[in-house]
Amino acid sequence: MKIFWAFARQHFHSTAIYRFDFWMRVSSIFILMYGTRWLWITLYSQRPGAFGVSLGQMVTYTVLSMAITNLFFTGPPYYMAGQVRSGAIDGDLLKPMDFHFHMLARSTGEMIFRIFTITIPGMLAGYFLFDLQLPASVQSGVMFVVAFLLGYLVNFHLEFLLGALSMVTLEIDNIDWAFHATTRFFSGQYVPLWFFPGLLGTLAAILPFRSIFFVPLSIYTGVMRGSAITQAILFQLFWAVILFIVSRWVWERVQLQIISQGG
Amino acid sequence: MNGFQLYFRLIQISLLSRMQYRANFIAGILGLVFWNIINLGLIGVMVTQFTSLNHWTLWELVFLYCLWILCHSLYSLFFSQSTHMEDYLIEGTFDQFLLRPANLLIQVLGRELQYIEIADMLIGITGIGLAYIQLNLQWNAWLWSFFLVAVVSGAVIELSMNLLIACSAFWTGRSRGSFIIANQFYGLVHQYPIDIFGKVFRVFVTGFLPVAFMNYYPAVLLLGKQGQLGSAWPLSYMSPLVALLLVGVVLIVWTLALRRYSSSGS
Repeated sequence: MKIFWAFARQHFHSTAIYRFDFWMRVSSIFILMYGTRWLWITLYSQRPGAFGVSLGQMVTYTVLSMAITNLFFTGPPYYMAGQVRSGAIDGDLLKPMDFHFHMLARSTGEMIFRIFTITIPGMLAGYFLFDLQLPASVQSGVMFVVAFLLGYLVNFHLEFLLGALSMVTLEIDNIDWAFHATTRFFSGQYVPLWFFPGLLGTLAAILPFRSIFFVPLSIYTGVMRGSAITQAILFQLFWAVILFIVSRWVWERVQLQIISQGG
Repeated sequence: MNGFQLYFRLIQISLLSRMQYRANFIAGILGLVFWNIINLGLIGVMVTQFTSLNHWTLWELVFLYCLWILCHSLYSLFFSQSTHMEDYLIEGTFDQFLLRPANLLIQVLGRELQYIEIADMLIGITGIGLAYIQLNLQWNAWLWSFFLVAVVSGAVIELSMNLLIACSAFWTGRSRGSFIIANQFYGLVHQYPIDIFGKVFRVFVTGFLPVAFMNYYPAVLLLGKQGQLGSAWPLSYMSPLVALLLVGVVLIVWTLALRRYSSSGS
């Protein structure tokens, strides 16, 4: 934990440089919250209470989704690809810290930093301006945090695997783009998975992506309750463990193959 | 060599240098196709569950989306370099341009052909074609010509807006942030009809950052949905006018920007 804080502190220290970046991110979130709120208000005015979900829950789902988006995608794939391209990866491999853990610490440090600088302001704005409701119950609130952390781990490992892949192919942009498109669709970031019909719904239920947005957000809004929460959390845990093992296995092999460029 | 010849010569050079990376090119095309299918898929899932989006049916939304893509691909294919002005100013590349005896704007724009955008163009044309059939549209010669003019106008509008934002770097030194913000607006207007949003938003994307003229307003006319606009129906004809107006503004701002320029010294 000390290491995570160290990385988070490091980010705080460089805020002065990133102040501009911060304002851009926050403003972008506001615009997205505004847009997505209107979208669902329009859709729900056509068919109130669709799928047994109230308009308030739906708006909360989607506005909160925008507020937490920045906590994922903290950029390990770009870091890893960049280090290989510049040759600086040598230094990372020499550090007396396991590389996989180093990436997790970096990423988590950045995530903690963004909770305070982006998500909390975003949630406050969401609460006062965009009808973001409080968690459905105390239990929902607590389980949301648990589910979010598990979702974060699932996403981190997917990104780590992506980074490892980019270290071999020496290409990141297109791989990352395809990954983001898939996440966008199957994670429930924009459209909750209860709207997915037939085969698409089944596919979304099996793939790990729903751990990232759908599970935490459905819990927060109270759409998912009781034993469904336990099941969903076990699902996330299952994928987190699988992806952790796969990441270790892949990294063992990739690190022998890295061809450092530049330097 | 006149401006056009020079532009195409520059493009030819950049193409030759890029063709070395063929695998990357193919991966890029697949990536673009995939990205657009996902976006349309999300709209599809939503609209299937709710039958329509403020009286826009699925295929009308596909048309709206693809009209934007088509304009954007035309812009992006030839002029995507306009967004890199900031880098040129900071890295001092702009000084190189100034030393060459050729038009500056052409040098900036001719640096690269974003040939991957061919994929976007094909997606746009396919989507519009499918929507045309599904919606049983029967355009007469006038609507066909308006469609073509609207696509070119859309590309000019995006080019002008981006150049204006890029030119702000001459004063502020930075334009990346403004691009990030503008892109959020582009994204919303690209995917959804603006009549679902509040009034402030609609006024903003009509009068200040006129991205709605790229797809929404022409689509309203081309799909015969002018009822959506009420008394604001003349706006559906205005894309070409807006494009011309913006070009005028860009030329003025560009002249002012050059007068203002001082090298970064690096």
